[in-house]
Amino acid sequence: MTKESDFYQIYEVFSRRGNKAPMQHQFSLLAPNREMAMMMAQENFMRREDVIDLWVVKQSDIRKMTSEERQNMTNRLDNKDYRTTKGYGYLRQKWKEKEQGMLDEKEIMSWKEVKKK
Amino acid sequence: MSQVVETAEHAKKDATYFLALKELLFQLADDDLLIAFRGSEWLGLAPHVEEDVAYSSITQNTMGHAVMYYNLLEELGIGTADLLAHDRKSEERRNGIYLEKRNGEGNYLDEPYYDWALAVVRNYFYEAFKKIKLEAVANGSYKPLANVARKVLMEHHYHLAHWKLWIKQLGSSSDEAKKRIQGRVKEAWEEFADVLELGKHANDIRSHNLVSIGEEEMKDRWIDEVRTVLVEIPDGSLGKKYGSGRNGDHTQDLEQAVNTLAEVYNSDKTAAW
Amino acid sequence: MYNYVEDGDSKTTAYVEHDQEKSDAFMARIEAGEKIEADDWMPADYRQALIKLISMHGISEIMGALPEKEWVPKAPTLRRKLGIMAKVQDEMGHGQLLLRVAEDLMKPYGKTRENLMEDLLNGDLKFHNVFHMPTKTWADAGMVGWLVDGAAIISQTNMLDASYGPYQRALQRICQEEVFHAQHGESIIMALAEGNQYQRDILQESLNRWWPSLLMFFGPASAETTGSSKQDIMIKYKIRKSTNEELRQAFLSKYMPRVFSLGLTVPDETIRYDEVEEKWIYKQPDWDEFKQIIRNNGPRSKERLRLREIAYENNRWVRQALATEPVNV
Repeated sequence: MTKESDFYQIYEVFSRRGNKAPMQHQFSLLAPNREMAMMMAQENFMRREDVIDLWVVKQSDIRKMTSEERQNMTNRLDNKDYRTTKGYGYLRQKWKEKEQGMLDEKEIMSWKEVKKK
Repeated sequence: MSQVVETAEHAKKDATYFLALKELLFQLADDDLLIAFRGSEWLGLAPHVEEDVAYSSITQNTMGHAVMYYNLLEELGIGTADLLAHDRKSEERRNGIYLEKRNGEGNYLDEPYYDWALAVVRNYFYEAFKKIKLEAVANGSYKPLANVARKVLMEHHYHLAHWKLWIKQLGSSSDEAKKRIQGRVKEAWEEFADVLELGKHANDIRSHNLVSIGEEEMKDRWIDEVRTVLVEIPDGSLGKKYGSGRNGDHTQDLEQAVNTLAEVYNSDKTAAW
Repeated sequence: MYNYVEDGDSKTTAYVEHDQEKSDAFMARIEAGEKIEADDWMPADYRQALIKLISMHGISEIMGALPEKEWVPKAPTLRRKLGIMAKVQDEMGHGQLLLRVAEDLMKPYGKTRENLMEDLLNGDLKFHNVFHMPTKTWADAGMVGWLVDGAAIISQTNMLDASYGPYQRALQRICQEEVFHAQHGESIIMALAEGNQYQRDILQESLNRWWPSLLMFFGPASAETTGSSKQDIMIKYKIRKSTNEELRQAFLSKYMPRVFSLGLTVPDETIRYDEVEEKWIYKQPDWDEFKQIIRNNGPRSKERLRLREIAYENNRWVRQALATEPVNV
């Protein structure tokens, strides 16, 4: 027999605000099933901002980190500048000596514009 | 000298302390370097792309840990970290022999018949041991090392979790997987013992409180840990089939590892790379 | 890292029904700069062009890890070992993102990653020409990280506004990571260029060897050169903006001054920037050789495929063992 309490299933809501944006977690809501959850999500989470896509996922289908995991599994040592631009900042001076610029994020992302023939 | 030793200068004042500390640091550094080297050979060859990426992070972290220990040796005036990693003969190296073992048949450049069961068993066994040893070191007398150990332990947690999940899942999956894992466990049982030991300076390492527990207790704790995961513990006691890496015994596999990891370094030792 | 190239004899999948009304509406969306999502209706040639482009891009990342990976265990210092490991790991990570994008597009055809791997191994799915080449010295590891990656950045940033949403979002992530890659490659090169005679020698020798591959990187200027080119359809559907030649010109403009500033030369005495025509004049590489290379007849094609094959076959038992969810774990 179904219980009234089964009406209250938890759904997590995700939305995308622009084409370049990742899916972003917004919040959660209660609904009896996923069709209803989707309908509720639209009014609960799209009424103020432009949203171009929306997902609802039943919370029990999400494998979240446990409290213990959040404390123990998310630590990383601060010794990894070999894998970030921080570790290569000295190149700016080197290139300057050779009258060349640094390939930093601003420069590289600007390469999407290519001169037409 | 069982008090807390705060600095490298202080450590150098007592010859037996200094020697014991040096041995222990080489064990920690060489263990991490060798297993990370074997991990770096796996890059690009894991069972699927997602695992390749995950395994490589662990390998990088582990090599990063080795760097921290080599830096401590450098502070003690023993040589630069790069020299210690690249330019020591096999008999000077202190890693456990099981950690230098090849990943399987073939070579990473040519016909690499690498065995994922070996990777899983070795990494799980090693990470389980590393936790125990580092906890003992974190409570030990050499402050700079204890601090490093505490940092490494923070990051180590998910390394152990990663390999524990693999061994648990494969150990309870297909018959073939069970058989492969079991075979590698049996093999490890005959070779792993020296990893758990502190070598010929064990007494000094313990008496100077560089570690808060002795090698016998480390071994007991390790067996207790792997018992919680292994479906079947092999008969007989742990062996060290090829001798003790802690005392400088090594196999041809270490030669191959050192020749590879130092190939470019050796091509011109005066160069800045 | 990657670029889209055609060898002219690719198989085309059977044509699916054509719906003019839907096609027109689709083109209107493309023209308006809208982004297409995986479950939107799309014409078959758009889907197929994307599958081909993105699966080749993804698999090239995976295959591209192999030549650099040869130098990961050998890198000359601890710091270089860590740096190049992180870099090659990123390439695998890019492969992972791109394969996921391609897999979602292939879903209607009932295909999965397994099919992609099999297509690679049986030669149906090509990988980028540069990854068929040998890496002989540590300078090659630097050269791949610097100029090969530089060429890849040029071609990838060109698709940052691609009409296919999931691809464009993957590229966003990838290009951000490429900033570290560009600097990592330059860091290796800078040390060699400022190093001793031996280091400068291996650097120059490496550049000489890689030069033709770098020119070939962007593919031929026009379809006539190799028989066919998909660049027109890529531009029509706003997947990328520029032609092969425009990209090559952009690469030369960005990188030649840097090459020369390090005191390096390229094996083409005729190369120059023509101020009047506003373009680089250079000697064409051997496009017949290019065709051979991308048909898996390059110097290291067979060996690289063999590595992939061994890794794939050798680990099959692992994938089979976990193909069904394990119990009690």
